[in-house]
Amino acid sequence: MRTLTAYRFIFIFLAFSLLASPAAHARETVLDIQEVTSEGGIKAWLVEDHSVPVIAIEFAFVGAGAARDPAEKQGLSRMLSNTMDEGAGDLTSEKFQKELRDLSISLSFSSSRDSFNGSLKTLATNKKRAFELMTLALTAPRFDAEPLERMRAANQSRIRSSLSDPEWIAARILNDRAYAGHPYALNSGGTLGGLEKITAADLKTFHKNNLARGNLKISICGDITEMELKGLLDQIFGKLPEKPAAQPEAKKLDLQNMGTVALYKKDIPQTIVEIMQPGIDKTHPDYHAAQIMNQILGSSGFGSRLTEEIREKRGLTYGIYTYFSNLDDINTLALSTSTGNENVTQMMDLIRTEWTKMKEAPPSTQELADAKSYLIGALPLSLTSTDKIASLLTGLQTDDLPIDYLEKRDAAIRAATPEDILRVSKELLNADKFTTVLVGNPEGVTPHAKIEKIPNVE
Amino acid sequence: MSRKMRIALPVITLTLLCGASPYVLLAAEATPAQVSETQKKEAPPPAPAPEKTSEQDMERQKVFDAKTKTLPNGMQVVVVENTRTPVVTHMVWYKTGAADETPGVSGIAHFLEHLMFKGSEGLAPGDFSKKIRSLGGNDNAFTSHDYTAYYQSVGAEHLETVMHMEAGRMRGLKPPSEEVISERQVILEERSQRTDNNPDAKLGESISAALFVNHPYGKPIIGWEHEMAALTWNDAKSFYDRWYGPNNAILVVAGDVKADDVFRLAQDIYGPLKPITLPKRERTISPPLAGRQTIVYHDATVREPQFQRAYRVPSYRQNAAESLALQVLEDIAGNGPTSRFYKSLVIDKKLATNAGLAYGVNAYDDADLYIYLTPAPGKNMKQIEDAVDAEIAKIADKGITEKELSDSLTRLQAEAVYARDSLSGPAMTIGYSLATGAMLDDIEYWPYNIAQVTADQIKEAAAKFLLPASPDAHFVNGYLLPAKPEPATEKQPPKKDETKTNPASPATPEKQP
Repeated sequence: MRTLTAYRFIFIFLAFSLLASPAAHARETVLDIQEVTSEGGIKAWLVEDHSVPVIAIEFAFVGAGAARDPAEKQGLSRMLSNTMDEGAGDLTSEKFQKELRDLSISLSFSSSRDSFNGSLKTLATNKKRAFELMTLALTAPRFDAEPLERMRAANQSRIRSSLSDPEWIAARILNDRAYAGHPYALNSGGTLGGLEKITAADLKTFHKNNLARGNLKISICGDITEMELKGLLDQIFGKLPEKPAAQPEAKKLDLQNMGTVALYKKDIPQTIVEIMQPGIDKTHPDYHAAQIMNQILGSSGFGSRLTEEIREKRGLTYGIYTYFSNLDDINTLALSTSTGNENVTQMMDLIRTEWTKMKEAPPSTQELADAKSYLIGALPLSLTSTDKIASLLTGLQTDDLPIDYLEKRDAAIRAATPEDILRVSKELLNADKFTTVLVGNPEGVTPHAKIEKIPNVE
Repeated sequence: MSRKMRIALPVITLTLLCGASPYVLLAAEATPAQVSETQKKEAPPPAPAPEKTSEQDMERQKVFDAKTKTLPNGMQVVVVENTRTPVVTHMVWYKTGAADETPGVSGIAHFLEHLMFKGSEGLAPGDFSKKIRSLGGNDNAFTSHDYTAYYQSVGAEHLETVMHMEAGRMRGLKPPSEEVISERQVILEERSQRTDNNPDAKLGESISAALFVNHPYGKPIIGWEHEMAALTWNDAKSFYDRWYGPNNAILVVAGDVKADDVFRLAQDIYGPLKPITLPKRERTISPPLAGRQTIVYHDATVREPQFQRAYRVPSYRQNAAESLALQVLEDIAGNGPTSRFYKSLVIDKKLATNAGLAYGVNAYDDADLYIYLTPAPGKNMKQIEDAVDAEIAKIADKGITEKELSDSLTRLQAEAVYARDSLSGPAMTIGYSLATGAMLDDIEYWPYNIAQVTADQIKEAAAKFLLPASPDAHFVNGYLLPAKPEPATEKQPPKKDETKTNPASPATPEKQP
């Protein structure tokens, strides 16, 4: 389980950093995005691609994520995502799932902190029924008692399993401390007790209040034409309410517990290290330069300064990487790694040293050229399947980026100078603002806070 | 929905792949979970004699339409043309892995994989990956028991460059000694992160050791810690010299390329490499397992118990027909929320919160097949195990219905279509299938071959390999449990079927009477 969790985390980070970063490549021939508007006024972004008889739809309801869960019912949006595909219209859970499986349709929902998301992948030959089933799940979910109880139990089981995963524990505590006082600090996967309280009525209310055309971003890729899509948009999404019941209020958040180290003691050979410091908004003029800096510092794995100094030269870890996180209410720069308990203080010193080096001198010409080349060149590597392309489009839309964004980023990356990187490093990097969480049994560390109980789990 | 079913799969994944870097593999295409999905699904079977009716010609359409050629030095080259995006995945698969290590140097195949990045022809230590990044590409490598693979994903215009780089490290590798020492620390940290920090991984290691007794699959790919700590460059070099050569390698290229161009480039770049004298790939054989063996592992950090049963079953290479039957059985019994195990044990009986079955078809020797369940609160392992036995007995006694079979075969056909909606996916499937003894046509005609499986074959496979009473059923149960409560009195005798609770020491198997 740990492996999956860890890898998933990394995968999400990678997917994210591709979306969020200037990795975006811009050759028009690579990704020809059209905006399609239905008769009913529903908009979607489309990449028509008939190379494989597969269609993928990805969509997001902005502002309808876990940040809207009530504190006493954490995990509500997650439970909604687990139950919407468990029976709809006249179809019970069993019949609904059987039909999906027999037709090899994958339909699923998920919830992130800021949005509620849906995803469909079908063979073109089964598309008619796939679209019908998705419409049903979206507009007429049943929330029957049996699947509700089953999903509740599965979520509680998942939480209990995670409690033996030190990386999960570290992430949980970091969220709690970095976002203290904000809904982001809560457990988006739910708490054992909070899940217990969630009823079908709660799911219906969340569904009714938050899933509407007004906060919906739709992306499609695959074996489908613009004409066909137009009719389809009204069929699938037309029945949703026009607007969500209440727009989420912006609760801009400053990073919390900066300059502190929290320790959760655990009898394992290796300590998990999670660090967060303030980040940068995607609309900031220096955002692209910051991405290049991050690539040089730690996001690239092999070749990054942190990997070079800490893994390659000293063998202190299997992996160390940094990444930007951009939530609606806070932007951060985070670092994840792990090292033997006896090496934790050395590791922390080395990280600070790299932070300082980055702020003291501009990157070399070679470093800058390599980073730019990677960020520009790596995007097409992620455009190799219909669902990945659709998912990229949704990322752009939920970030409110223009349809020609990928092309513009290319130019912006190329324009960055070594002085830009130095200026951004000086403004952004600040090791005194680290919010640090350690899980393990590190030697020689005097924490500011000892965590005895993992927050928002029970 | 399948996301809900994958909880136990990482245990299996762990035994399959150990990468040089934890992140870069994912930058290409597959998450480990997807890898193991692919591995269990897109297995290859042999094509029965073709009959020339036009209808069957249609059914026998190739999945990937890959082109292949073998260079005069023995290196096989396979190309999958895919013009969707101007990128290419270049992979070299060596037909060797952790199961080919000599005793006492466990982990050397994987350590060598790491050292392959530590300096080769024209490249200083660490420069291989840096160079790939500077081309706007990603690269990584991974080791299994049976194969070791190195890959790069780059813009199609860089294919020739990466070929030169990969060919340059096939012979004459010589990392500086300080790099060898620091990299040994890295693999030890990798072991801590993957295994020693995690009770489920520690139990998994013990299950494999018990299941594959007397066979090298019983050793962890990453290695036993005490042996890893003593590994040297000489150990790595002797493994490298023994197994790394063009005649033991498969080149797979997928992407926006023309097959003939790739064949020509491969001949120019890999062609001059001289073949090596290859040892025979012979491993010791596991004996039958007597009775029911159960490994019980208590760990203070465990809050949610897990049940696993691991079987030794035929791999595709060992018995194609039985392997095909097991693949369909896996789909019907254990894959997804409408499968038999989930439906019966999670939905109807409410004994578990998750249940499934996964067959690791691509092994050179015996394959593994895992049944995994998370018991519902208040249910004990005895209840779970009885219920598992009952589900198996149902299939072994009554078989499956024709409807179950035809539904499953339709789904499996669809998977072949989805498999094409990817760039590195086909390269992966082709690589591990060929490296474990399949032929290219086994993969290309898999949809046709799987459609030949009958309900009787599935019933027979269940009765022969899964029914505990069968002489051909070899399996080990694993219980992952929270710390044992302190005994009420000092004099409670230790139970025979349980091992120590000390979380620092891995569980060891003991037989149940």
